[in-house]
Amino acid sequence: MGEILLQAEKVCKSFGITKAVDNVTLTFDKGEIHGLIGENGSGKSTFVSMLCGIHPIDSGRFLLNGAELHVKNQVDANNKGVSIIVQEMGTLSGLTVAENIFLGRESRFVRFGVKNTAAMNREAANLLEKYGFGQINGTAMIDNYNFEDRKLIEIVKATYFSPQIVVVDETTTALSQNGREELYKHMKRIRDEGNTVIFISHDLSEVIDFTDRISVLRDGRYIDTVSSDAVSEDDLKRLMVGREIAGKYYRTDYGRLVSSDRVLTVKEVSVPGQIREISFDLHRGEILGFGGLSECGMHEVGKAIFGASYDRKGAVTLPDGTKIESIPGAIRHSIAYASKDRDNESLVVYDTIRDNIILPSINNLAERKILKRKRLDTFAAAHAQMISVKMTGIEQFVSNLSGGNKQKVVLARWIGKDSDIIVLDSPTRGIDVKVKADIYALMGELKEKGKSIIMISEEIQELLGMCDRIIIMKNGAINGEFHRDERLNEEDLIAKMV
Amino acid sequence: MNTGMRLNEIIKNKLFGRYYGILLLLLLAFFFWGIFKILSPDNFGSPEKMYYYLQSSIIYSVGACGFYFIVVMGLFDFSIGANVVLSAIVGVTMAKQFGYPGLLAGAMACGLLIGLCNGFLYAKLRIPSMIVTVGLMLVFESLAYFASGGQKQSLDASLQFFGKAPGNMILALIAFLLTYFILKYTKVGTYCYAIGSDEYVAKNMGINVSKYKILGFVLLHFFVGIMAVLSVSFGTSMTATTGMASMSRNFTPLMGTFFGLAFRKYGIPVPAMIIGEFIISIIFNGFIALGAPTTIQNVVTGAALLTIVALTTRPAKGVVVK
Repeated sequence: MGEILLQAEKVCKSFGITKAVDNVTLTFDKGEIHGLIGENGSGKSTFVSMLCGIHPIDSGRFLLNGAELHVKNQVDANNKGVSIIVQEMGTLSGLTVAENIFLGRESRFVRFGVKNTAAMNREAANLLEKYGFGQINGTAMIDNYNFEDRKLIEIVKATYFSPQIVVVDETTTALSQNGREELYKHMKRIRDEGNTVIFISHDLSEVIDFTDRISVLRDGRYIDTVSSDAVSEDDLKRLMVGREIAGKYYRTDYGRLVSSDRVLTVKEVSVPGQIREISFDLHRGEILGFGGLSECGMHEVGKAIFGASYDRKGAVTLPDGTKIESIPGAIRHSIAYASKDRDNESLVVYDTIRDNIILPSINNLAERKILKRKRLDTFAAAHAQMISVKMTGIEQFVSNLSGGNKQKVVLARWIGKDSDIIVLDSPTRGIDVKVKADIYALMGELKEKGKSIIMISEEIQELLGMCDRIIIMKNGAINGEFHRDERLNEEDLIAKMV
Repeated sequence: MNTGMRLNEIIKNKLFGRYYGILLLLLLAFFFWGIFKILSPDNFGSPEKMYYYLQSSIIYSVGACGFYFIVVMGLFDFSIGANVVLSAIVGVTMAKQFGYPGLLAGAMACGLLIGLCNGFLYAKLRIPSMIVTVGLMLVFESLAYFASGGQKQSLDASLQFFGKAPGNMILALIAFLLTYFILKYTKVGTYCYAIGSDEYVAKNMGINVSKYKILGFVLLHFFVGIMAVLSVSFGTSMTATTGMASMSRNFTPLMGTFFGLAFRKYGIPVPAMIIGEFIISIIFNGFIALGAPTTIQNVVTGAALLTIVALTTRPAKGVVVK
């Protein structure tokens, strides 16, 4: 057992009546990568947000090197040797890359109230070069960079001052393979320098591969800490959920014929700079998967079908010849879409679960243009309960839900609308195994009801496990198509991706 | 890479982007000058007149610079006009005793105090800035009325150095350089942008959001104090008004701020506010030269502002604009 760097003692945090973190006592050693896992809503993010000063502690304490740690905000935490790379966007628009890196810590460049911008830019350039991100210009506006590059900038921002503890909170879900490799490299560097990484991820295989020890939280409580080289994914699932989760939560049926009825025809659809001449048919009761590398254009396909792409060319047509050109048109013709960017593109996060669920169905729920509260409540509650959204009530704000439960709200919305074609972009992104299993089961039920699903995913296993047909994309075009088959494996798909 | 993408890349380049933005603004100024020159060749647009338009526009540019600090943070202030009147009256009154130092110190200190009062009440009452400043506008208008006894306050002829070139140019230039310096070389500029981008994240970065919001109001009204000196020197007198009549003085500086925000992506908010106000001045004076009624002037000026900002801002498709 190594030397203890950080100790959590009986740490508690509640939000209203929900106990998010309940009496957690846990230790982290010097020079280790420590995995922290648990279902959505298990308290992982709340636990680290208290450590980093984002939320205050209700009771209990953190001890760093044996001394009690009090932090007021993220910069205060940084000054005391703790930093975090968050799941969402952690950089600020309207500032330069350099200003973002040093935000809140500019004092070293300020003399008599005057900021030495040139020195700050030089320092940022040196750091970016040192981290191997030389392609990023420190003086450029951060808005010029995409989500992934901005995550790389966050890595620099969170680690350049050699903090003793770096929290990586579900960051990898937003990164492509290249971005992940960069992150892993810097996690190992931090550990090799004798500091500690707390690594939160739902991807159990990467947690096992890249950590030294793993701690499990369930329903806000500490369950166990295990050595990474002595556990399997199934062991971790059991610890997370508290019961045996069968490895096979995917579909097990093979050889079933899909209906020949076409419900949607996509013909030569292109979006400048994104996708080129995409054509395919979708059939009744079919689960059609789209896979590929992160930037292959598959995410744009979902938007294009839903009428959410700009400058789209080509045609998306229903069997009766109706063309889908806009989002209202798509919804009117029973097409649903759940975006990969759940918080920004699918949900009104600062609104109630009820309002989020009823949004697309509001015209159907109105009686002579008048909305009756009781009817809305009944509708929202019925659909939220149907897919087991973990909530205090439909009045709860979506912002207070975990990632998995947010996704359930999105699905409840479209089930409520009774959509016939459902486009799911990365439906299990950042979601724990339990909710994943629920979503797969739901997809199976929808399929049985004759609904058609397009599932866009960066997870090859779920494509293989759930889809009747898989289209692989590369550089914005279709590069391969596979039908459901037990013999189909990851290598077959990867060969068409790269 | 097609031509459009290539052009975008070039514009993205910081140095060239800056020149591109300034060039675009100057072209717009030239465009409006050309139109009015064709329509009214004798009454409009001679070099002397253009210099006069510039001198009148810089008064508003100074106000626009002040406005910029709070508008980037997502705040607003309706008491600018009332501050111009009150600070000018205080400045004129003090100038009678202390000459130029009284004029400058009186107006600027009055502006500072008003800014502190606005910022403090906004932070403490925790109600929207628009509501706080509408309430305070009524208070400041009344104070100006009481301070002047309802009489026109004239600036002594020997104290009108800041009413014409080079005095007005020097004072305005100092204000522009100060704005540029604060935005570029102090934490205040960075923090104003950070708070405007995401207040919650800014708070988590250790930024004292309330403090910088109050500071934003202080800076705004300090610059409005300078604007008051320029206004009363240019017009040689100031009369207190009540019943929200000062409100109309808010909008010309605000239009300049819009130019600053629209051209911020080129890294030139201060030059954009100066040239933007100059463009507005050209349009105003162009209509006067044509003898157009005030209502038509207002309609066309408003439409021109919307067109210019819409054409120059052009956010990427899909970006949410609030």
